[in-house]
Amino acid sequence: MGKTILEAKHITKLFPGMKALDDVDFDLQEGEVHILVGENGAGKSTLSKVLLGAYKAEQGEIFLDGQPLKLTGTKDAIDKGIVAVYQENSLVPYLNAAQNIFLNREPKTALGLLDLKKMNEDAKALLKTLNCEYIDVTRAVSSLSVAEQQMVEIAKALSFSPRIIVFDEPTSTLSEREVESLFVQIRKLKSEGLGIIYVSHRMQEFPQIGDRITVLRDGKKIGCVGINECSDAELVKMMVGRDVSQVYVRNKNDFNEEALRVEGLCDQGGRVKGVSFNVRKGEIVGLAGLVGAGRTETAEMIYGIRPIASGKMTVFGKEAMPKTPTSAVKMGIGLISEDRKRQGLALNESIAQNNVAVSLLKIFPNFFVNNGKINQIAEEFKEKLRIMTTSVGKKTRFLSGGNQQKVVLAKWLSQDPEILIFDEPTRGIDVGAKMEIYNLMDQMASQGKAIIMISSELPEIIGMSDRIYIMKEGEITGEVKREDPDFNQEKIGELMMLGGAE
Amino acid sequence: MKNKSFKDIVRSIPPVVYMLVAMIVIFSLIEPLYLSTRNFRNILLQCVPLMIMAFAQTIVILTEGIDMSLNAVVNIVTVLTVWLAIKGVPLPVGMAISVLVAILIGVVKGFFVSKFSLPPFIVSYGMQNIVNSIALLLTGGASIYFASELYRTFTKTVLLVPNNVWVAAVMFLLTYTMLKRTKLGANIRALGGNPESLTLAGVNPGRSLIKAYAFAGFLTGIAGLMMLCRVESGQPIVANGLEFQSVAATVLGGTSLRHGKGNVAGTILGVLLIQVIQNGLNICGVPAIYQSVSTGGIVLAAIIVNALITSRKAKA
Ligand SMILES: Nc1ncnc2c1ncn2[C@@H]1O[C@H](COP(=O)(O)OP(=O)(O)OP(=O)(O)O)[C@@H](O)[C@H]1O
Ligand SMILES: [Mg+2]
Repeated sequence: MGKTILEAKHITKLFPGMKALDDVDFDLQEGEVHILVGENGAGKSTLSKVLLGAYKAEQGEIFLDGQPLKLTGTKDAIDKGIVAVYQENSLVPYLNAAQNIFLNREPKTALGLLDLKKMNEDAKALLKTLNCEYIDVTRAVSSLSVAEQQMVEIAKALSFSPRIIVFDEPTSTLSEREVESLFVQIRKLKSEGLGIIYVSHRMQEFPQIGDRITVLRDGKKIGCVGINECSDAELVKMMVGRDVSQVYVRNKNDFNEEALRVEGLCDQGGRVKGVSFNVRKGEIVGLAGLVGAGRTETAEMIYGIRPIASGKMTVFGKEAMPKTPTSAVKMGIGLISEDRKRQGLALNESIAQNNVAVSLLKIFPNFFVNNGKINQIAEEFKEKLRIMTTSVGKKTRFLSGGNQQKVVLAKWLSQDPEILIFDEPTRGIDVGAKMEIYNLMDQMASQGKAIIMISSELPEIIGMSDRIYIMKEGEITGEVKREDPDFNQEKIGELMMLGGAE
Repeated sequence: MKNKSFKDIVRSIPPVVYMLVAMIVIFSLIEPLYLSTRNFRNILLQCVPLMIMAFAQTIVILTEGIDMSLNAVVNIVTVLTVWLAIKGVPLPVGMAISVLVAILIGVVKGFFVSKFSLPPFIVSYGMQNIVNSIALLLTGGASIYFASELYRTFTKTVLLVPNNVWVAAVMFLLTYTMLKRTKLGANIRALGGNPESLTLAGVNPGRSLIKAYAFAGFLTGIAGLMMLCRVESGQPIVANGLEFQSVAATVLGGTSLRHGKGNVAGTILGVLLIQVIQNGLNICGVPAIYQSVSTGGIVLAAIIVNALITSRKAKA
C-alpha cells in the first residue's frame, strides 16, 4: 500500500451538550478504501464532515501529504481534491442531472451563457463510466428514482477528479446492480491511487472493497483493524460494546384469522400486474424481489397512495378499497415507507413532535393534547429503538442520518395499526438498532398484528418471515414457507432473478 | 399505441391552457364583440405591467420566497420619475434613476432576507409599507403630472404589435435566458430546492439571493415604466393589488411556492388568464364593484382546479 495522504490527529468536535468526536485519530493511504463503521450517531458523518471542511473541529490537526491542512469550507476542500458523496441528498430537485453535476462550474459559451450542450455531453460521459447511461441528464432530478439520484451524486463527486472521496452510506438506496457498478468504479479509483473513505452499515460489503476498518462508538475511536484481521462478530462487538449472539428472533405464533387478502391487484402504470397474496394475524410475510419488481408500488396501493386500476382487497373479511392513506389508516393499515427522506420528517420540529405527528388523533381523541404524554411516548420509543439523542425535545435536524430514520419508524409505530407494511425498514440503520427493529416486529407479530415486510436484503427477509412471496417485474413468481426446503438464500435468490419455475 | 401518445400529449399540456381557452370561449359566447383583434390587442396592451411584475414574482417564488412589495415599487417608479421630471431632470434620466432605485430596493430586500433569515413575506410586506409611504409623501397623496410625448412611444405599434408588448417580450427573453442559461438561474432553483447544495458547491447563498432580488427589482422597475407610460402620471397607488395578481399568475402558470419548481413561460399564460377574465367581465358589462369579486372568485377557482389537476398528475 502507498503512502499516507490524509491524516487526522486528536480530532474533537463539540455540538451543544455533547461531544460528537472525542480525540479521534484517523489516516488514509493512497489506493486504500478505509471503512468507517459504528452505530447511528457514533460520529461517522461528523468525522467525514470535519475532513471535508464542512465542520470545524474544536481540537486536533489534519495533514494532507504531511502538510498541515486548514480548510475554510467545502469549496476549499474540493479545490484540494477532497470531495464527498453525502448521506443527505445534496441535489437541487428541479435542476437536471447535468446542471446538478456541474453546479457552479458550468461550462460557458462565447456569449457567457451556460453551454448546455457541452454540459449534457460531459454529464452523459460521466454517467457512462458508472454504467448509468440510461439516466436522462436533461430531466429534473426530482423525477429520477432515489437510486438514480444517488448515481448522479456519485457522478458529481467524480467530476471533480478528486484525490480523496468520502462515501457516506452510498449504497443504502441502491439496487444490487447499481451497487455492483459502484464497486467496480471504486476498485478502479483505488487502482488509480485515490484514497477512499467509505461509511456503511452493510457488513457484507466490507470484504468486497475494504482494506482497513475504523470503528467509532460514542464519538471515540475504538480501533482500526485490517479487513481480514477481524470476524464479523468481533466487529459488531466493537461497534455495540457488547456480545451479540442472535440477530434474528422469531417466536412461533398461530396464524388463524386472515388480516389482509389482495387478489389480482393492478396499478395504472403497469408496474404491478395482477398481484395476489394474503397475510394472517400473527404472521410476518416477506415480499422479496429486486428493486423495481413492483413491491413498493404494491404497498402503496394497499395504503391508498397509488390508485388501484383493478383487483380486489379484503381487510379482516370485509371488502375494502382504500382511496387515500386516511381511509387505509381507518381500516387499520399502516405503511412505513422506504422513501423516508421525502415522506418523513419535520426537521425543525422536536423528536417528540415528530413521533406523534400521525397518531395525535388516536392518542388524544379530544381536542386537547398533553405535552407530558407526548414526551412520555417519545421517551418510550427512544428506549425501544435506541434513538441517540440528549433529549426528545431536540430538533430532528440535529440527529444523525440513521437516528432520523428511527424517528420516522417511531412515528408510524406510534399509530399502532393492525396491519403494518415495512418497506426496507432497516435501510441505513446500524446493527444494534436493526436487531431492535427485528425484535419489535417479532413482538408485534406475537401480539397478533399482521406484518408485511419488503426488503432487498435476503438474510433479513429470510430471518424474519414466516412466508415469502417472490416478485419479479410486477408479478408474484413464487411463494415459499418457512418449513419448505426451498426456504433458503440460494433458492429465493434464484427465483428473484429468474422468475417462477413453471 | 397512437392513442396513448396522443393521451400523453394531452396530459403534458398545463391546465392553464385549457382554462384560458375555456374562458375565451365562454366570454365570446356571451358577448360576440369579445372575439375581435381589437379586443385582443387591448388585452395584450393592458396586461404589460402585470406581466413584467409577474416575471419578477416568478423569480422570487423560485427562491422559495414571495414579494409583497412589487406594487409599491411600481408605484414609486411612476411617482419618482414624474417628480424628478417636475424638478427638471430629463424624463429618460429620471426613468433610469427610477429603475436603479427599484434594483436597490430589491437588493435591500434580498439583504434582509438572507442576512437575518427573515421570512420574505414579512420583509417585503414591510418594504411595501415603507415604499408606499414614500410615494405618498412625494406626491402629497394625489397624482402628479408631467406632460411628455415620450410616454406615447411605448403605445405605438411596430410590426403590428404595440411597443410595450415588445418590451414585455424582451423582458421575458431576458428572464427565460437568465433562468435557463446562466449560473444565477441555476442558483435560484437551488435556493428554492436545496440551499445546502449551494454551500457545498462553494456558492454564497446570500449573495445569490440578493442577485435574484436585484434582477426581480430591475424587472419591476421596467414594469413601473410601462405603467407610467400607460397612466402618463405619477400615481402613488396605481399598482396596489397587482402584487397579489402576480402571485396568482405565477401559481396558475405552474410554478410551485416551494422547492424551486416552475418556469416563467407558464407565468405568461397565468397573466393572460387573469387579464382575459378581467377584460371579459368588463366587456360583458359586469358592474365595476362586482368585477373584482368575480375576478377574485374565478382566479381562486382556477388555482384550485390547477392544484387538483397537478396533484392528480403527480400521483399517476
Ligand atoms: N449539526 C448538529 N448539531 C447538533 N448535533 C449534531 C449535529 N450533527 C450531528 N449531531 C450529533 O452528533 C452525533 C454524531 O452524529 P453523526 O451524524 O456523525 O453520526 P453517524 O455516525 O453518521 O450516524 P448515522 O449512522 O446515523 O449516520 C449524533 O448524536 C448527532 O445527534
Ligand atoms: Mg451519518
